[in-house]
Order: sequence, then structure tokens, then C-alpha cells
Amino acid sequence: MSTSQTIITPIKTDLKLNCLTDEQLSQLQEATLQILETVGVKFPSDKAMAIFEEHGAQVDRETQIVRIPRELVMQAMSTVPRYFTLGARNPELDLQLQDGVTFFTNDGCGHDVVDSKTGERRASTKADVGMMARINDYLSSMSFSWTMVSAQDCGVTSPLHEIDITWRNNTKHYQSVTMMGEEICRYGVEMATVLRGSIEEVRQRPPISLIVCSIAPLVQDKEAIEGALVLGEAGIPIVVMSMPTMGTTAPATYAGALAVGDAEVISATVLMQLANPGAPVFHSILHAWADPRTAAYVGYPLDSRARYAPVEMAHHWGMPALGGAFGTESPELDSWQSAAEVATDPLLVGLAGAEIVTGIGLRDSYTLLYPEAIILDDDLLHQARYSLLNMEVSPETLAIDVISKVQPGGHFLSQKHTRKHMRTAMVRGVCHQLDSEGKYRHPVEYAREKVTWILKNHHPETPSAEVQKEINRILETADKELKG
Amino acid sequence: MSDMFEKLAQAVIDGEPEDAVALATEALDQGLDPLDCITKGLTKGIQKVGELFASGEYYLPELIIGADAMKDALEILEPALVGDQKRDVVATVVLGTVQGDLHEIGKTLVGTMLTANGFRVKDIGVDQPASAFVEAVKEVDATIIGASALLTTTMLQQEKLIQALDEAGLRQKVKVMVGGAPVTDEFAKRIGADGYAEDAISAVNLAYRLADAPV
Ligand code: B12
Repeated sequence: MSTSQTIITPIKTDLKLNCLTDEQLSQLQEATLQILETVGVKFPSDKAMAIFEEHGAQVDRETQIVRIPRELVMQAMSTVPRYFTLGARNPELDLQLQDGVTFFTNDGCGHDVVDSKTGERRASTKADVGMMARINDYLSSMSFSWTMVSAQDCGVTSPLHEIDITWRNNTKHYQSVTMMGEEICRYGVEMATVLRGSIEEVRQRPPISLIVCSIAPLVQDKEAIEGALVLGEAGIPIVVMSMPTMGTTAPATYAGALAVGDAEVISATVLMQLANPGAPVFHSILHAWADPRTAAYVGYPLDSRARYAPVEMAHHWGMPALGGAFGTESPELDSWQSAAEVATDPLLVGLAGAEIVTGIGLRDSYTLLYPEAIILDDDLLHQARYSLLNMEVSPETLAIDVISKVQPGGHFLSQKHTRKHMRTAMVRGVCHQLDSEGKYRHPVEYAREKVTWILKNHHPETPSAEVQKEINRILETADKELKG
Repeated sequence: MSDMFEKLAQAVIDGEPEDAVALATEALDQGLDPLDCITKGLTKGIQKVGELFASGEYYLPELIIGADAMKDALEILEPALVGDQKRDVVATVVLGTVQGDLHEIGKTLVGTMLTANGFRVKDIGVDQPASAFVEAVKEVDATIIGASALLTTTMLQQEKLIQALDEAGLRQKVKVMVGGAPVTDEFAKRIGADGYAEDAISAVNLAYRLADAPV
């Protein structure tokens, strides 16, 4: 039974940030076409190579490198859909991709949790996945949900257990970060079909989608690609995500790193289209930097210009984009670094116009969960959302009559106009929560309390007993077959 | 003659693999002792590279290209060693990322740092089953294994690796060190590994300890 209504508040804006010129976008696209045609991309999958061969790409079976002529790239890319629907468990929370709207979710998928009561650091479990799915369901800033941490107590079938526990705690669209390989993905399709009632319904309103990573530079992951093909056939969306690291897995120059990433994403998208024309695919490049002294993974150097250039590249190809926000390197819950690094991300990515955005609430480069962190980061997201809302200018808001009543030197506190508007004029964030003495509370203390409150009071509708029975049966079968 | 050793060292310091190979070939043509070329030339060079890296002057690409220059020249010089001549190494390490895991950078970096510190490293790559580690140990007669895992689902392969060594009767002979972001000291102890290190520099110190060599 649901005790509180779930609503979502994506970022909406007509403003657009363009960090690349049309000419630069063409140059980047040309670089991708050149890489695909001359260097090629490694697809260590017989299935993928057969599909490419069938359509006239040049496949070297020995090196597993596929070179794709530009005509074939362009032809395949012409069937990739620009907009589609991400279905939710609750139909009211279905996400219809559209221009000017950016849907956010939490970060994933961490492996350590710092318990807010004991302060102890431990490995994440299925229960943690459920806990965070419930908090996600409550927060309006979260338009869909992501595997926030791994269900490490579930072994190789953990990706399926993560879907199960998410559905029991969350009514939004679910994007998996961990389903790898044909077998697991087939089970995923089966679970989605049970939830929806039929495969046609899954196709219309896919309740799940999947992140598939390429391996920079220019290699595809066999398991990821073969799993993606299974999902593509069922009309379930995938995100092809490249994570080029400048200096180690990509050139140490921005344009070069983006070209490598783009070639990876486009090669996988072409495959998806050749196998199932019209298959829904998101484009994503999350580039990072390798520290030139230690190779440590750095997401937030001082100069991260064109952070969201990949969003423009995606749109140039006619694809929807997944942008990455958040992902601080700080291991601390509430240090200056943990907030400052990520503070402008939601604003910039909203302005860049990414259709979906992941990444709020983890620390230590996407590995560490403090359950209360998402409550703090939620504020940054709303701040960006409010920044992009229009200011209303009207006789009522100009309030000339009230100003003339007050006269120079007076005050507005005793005005009815003030009484009407003051309550809502200042929106309280985590830093402006009052205690019983009228003092502002510590934001972390408030965040912890809110987590406890949500877990106690927010109970999203669970799948019907019938559906749950079927899901349990699928999990049992999968556990038996795959854990063996 | 000593001029040639200096040139070999310099090619490593400058990170010029092509020069290093050409010089190694020339040295053999001149009839110089390959072991001397290694110890008085290449090794001196890589030691200097290590110092420059430690002092902050060199960045990773300088370190890695320097190590490459040494490796390429060794491929010419080592086969020319005669009798029981052997390059002096701290220990031989088999290094790889475990099965199902494709994360490469951390493992490669550990390998470079070990090489620069006098270890012989056999890097078997990513996504390697336990059997590949075992085979490699036999092939190069290694005494240390370094196994990397970046995923919570593949960490468990590190335990399988230790079992496989047991079954192959090699567990007494090889020390196993494990690493990768989700791996912890506690996990390493639990699966019976001989050591865990959180970054490449501590990995080198750990390897020294496991090799019973002075740090
Ligand atoms: C870059 C990256 C990738 C790249 C790897 C590219 C490449 N060629 O290596 C790509 C994009 C391919 C990738 C793919 C995936 N990744 Co990844 N990836 C990362 C990321 C962001 C950084 C890793 C890195 O390179 N770090 C830099 C190096 C220098 O550091 P390091 O690897 O930790 O190594 C150091 C130490 O650990 C140690 N060390 C390492 N090995 C060893 C070995 C020994 C013996 C010793 C002593 C020490 C040691 O020394 C090293 C040097 O200091 C991490 C996040 C993170 N913060 O770690 C996620 C991360 C590890 N990936 C993750 C995931 C989920 C995946 C995918 C499943 C995503 C997907 N859906 O496809 C796939 C899996 C592919 C596969 N089968 O392996 C998760 C794992 C979560 C979990 N619960 O297990 C992480 C934590 C990110 C996240 N939060 O989601 N990934």
C-alpha cells in the first residue's frame, strides 16, 4: 500500500548550452567515421561479427576487428530513434523523452556502505539496494532508478536480484548497470514480461533498460554486447557508455578522447540497428582523466571544459544522450570537496539538454554509499532546477501598489501581500531546517533523520502477489542454473 | 666500450625504444658481453628513470616508455646470454586481471612499477582464468602472482585462483598478492592470499616483502 504519492520533477528548460560549433561537431563525426572505416573496433563476439559480415562490413575473424564503411554507418544510424518511452511500474511515471526535459537518477553501482548508525564500512547487500530504491521512489528529483550498490550477497545472479528488490521498493523505470551476458539478459526479459503481462507490453513501455560499457580504446565487451542484442530484440532500451580515460585508455587531448569514445558508442549502435532496426539506444561518453603521476581516475580536474560536449555529439547523430553528473572523488560524506566538485553538474547537463542523467549520492568515485548522501545531493539538483525556472513578472509579483503603500523607510512584514507570498518565496533546502529553538540544524543530522523517516513512512506499491510468485520462481531457476 | 653502456642507459632514460633496440643489436655485433649491457646499461637507465619518477620530475608516460625501451632491448640481449649467465631480478611475477574482468589500467600500472623496480613481470592480460595464471607460473618459473579484480562479482575469482594453485601443487612455491578497488585487506586474508596492496607503489613494497628482498 502506498502511503505517499510519488511525483517526479525533471529539469525543464528552453535554454541551450552549445560548447561545440557546428563545424566542430562535423569534425568529430568525421573522425568517428574515419576510425570506424580504417582502424575499426574489436568485437570479440561471433554473433556480432556474423551480423556485421552479413551487412557488408569488413570483418577480420582472427583479430576480431570490424571495419565499417561510412555508408553502412549512415544507413544503420538512420533507423535509431531520437525519442522513445521509458516505461515505469506506475504508468503515471512513464518517461517520454522530449526536447528540453532532463530526467535524473541516482549514481551506481557502489560496493561499500558506511552505516549511518555505527559508522562502520562494509560490503553492500541486496537489502541496501532495496533501501536505496525506496528512497529514490520518494524523492521527486529522481525520475527513474539505477542500481545504486551491488547485491553482493547474491553471487552471479545479483543483477536479477537487484531488479527484484528494486521492484519491491520502487515504482519508477529501472535501469540496470550490472546485467551482463545473454543468459542473465534473457532472465531479465522474462522478468519484465511477467511484470508487464506480455512481451508486446514490454516493447511499448519497457520497464527496464541497461547500461552497456565499451572498453576503451575501441573494444566491445562480448558479454555486454551479446546481452544488449537480446534486449534489443525485446525492444528494451540500452545505453552504450564509453568511459575513455585521457592519457591511459584514450589520447590525452579532449577531441581525441571524445573521438575514441564516439567510435565505440556508434559502432555498438550500428550493430544494434543492423540486428533490430529501430532498437532504442542512448549515447553516452563519460570521459575522465588519468592522473599523470599515479593513473588515479580523476573525474573533476580544474579544467573540465566541454564536460557535456558528448551530449551535443549524441544529438548530432540523432540519438538521445545519457549525461553523467556527480561522482565526486571525495570519500567523505559532507566535505567541501564532495559538494563543490559536483555542484554545477546538474545545471550544466540540464542546459546541455541530456535526456537522462545518472549519478547522485555516491562518494569515492562511484564506489561508496552513505545512505544520507542522496538527501544532501538532492538539494544540488533542485537548485539547478529552480535556477532554470522562469521568474514571473506580473502586476501581482511587481507589487507596485504594495511598494507605494509601504513608502520609503517602511517594511513589508505587515502587508497582506507579504503574508500571501512569504511562505513560498524562500524554498528551504537541507541547510535551512529549523530546530525547536529556531536555529538552523546541521544538514547531515537532518539528512539522516529524513532517511529514517522515508524508510518508515514511504511504502510504494509492490508487485501483485501473483507477479511476485512468478518472479520468485524465475529467481530460483536462475540461481539453480547459473550458480551451479 | 663504457660509452655503449652509457648510451643504452640513456636510451632508457630518454624513453627511446627504437634507439635501445638498435644499440643492443650494435653492442652484440661489437662483441660486448650481453650481461654487462644489461647490468651496466639498461638497469642503470631504469634505476635513473625510477629516481626521476619518485622525485616527481617524470610522469607516467616517461616511466612507461622507459620501461618499454628496457623491455625491447632485453628481448635482443637476453637470448644472447651464455652458459649460466642470468639477469639479476628481484623475483619473477605473473600478473593479470582475473576471469570475467576487463579492467586493465590498474594491473598494467602495477606491472610497470614492478618492472621499474627490478622485477621480471609476465603480464598475461585481462579476463584470465585461474588455469592461465598456473600455466604462466610454470612457464616463467615465477614465485609471485599478482591478481587484479575491479568488480565485486569477479573478486571471487581470486579465491578460485588460490584453490587452483593448491590443486596444481604450486601453492607452497608461489606467493599471491591481490588488488583492485573493491578488494580489501580483510578479503585478502579471508581467501588466504599472501598480501594486499591498495596502489601500485604499495604493490612494489609488498612484492619486495613477498620476495624476501630488502626494500
Ligand atoms: C575505467 C573503468 C572502467 C573501464 C575500464 C577500461 C580499461 N581498459 O581498463 C570500462 C568502461 C571498460 C569499465 C567497464 C565496466 N565497469 Co568499470 N570502472 C572503471 C572505473 C571508473 C575506474 C577504474 C580505473 O581504471 N581506475 C584507475 C586505476 C589506476 O586504479 P585501479 O584499477 O583501482 O588500480 C589501482 C589499485 O586498485 C591497485 N591494484 C589494481 N590491481 C592490482 C593488482 C595487484 C596485485 C595489486 C597488489 C594492486 C592492484 O593498484 C592500482 C594502481 O594504483 C571504476 C570506478 C573506480 N572508482 O574504481 C569502475 C568500476 C570498477 N566499474 C564498474 C562496473 C559496474 C563496470 C561494468 C560492469 C559496467 C557495465 N555495465 O558494462 C563493466 C565491466 C566490464 C568487465 N567485464 O570487466 C563498477 C564496479 C561495481 C561493482 N559493484 O563491482 C565500478 C566501481 C564503477 C561503478 N561504481 O559502477 N569500467
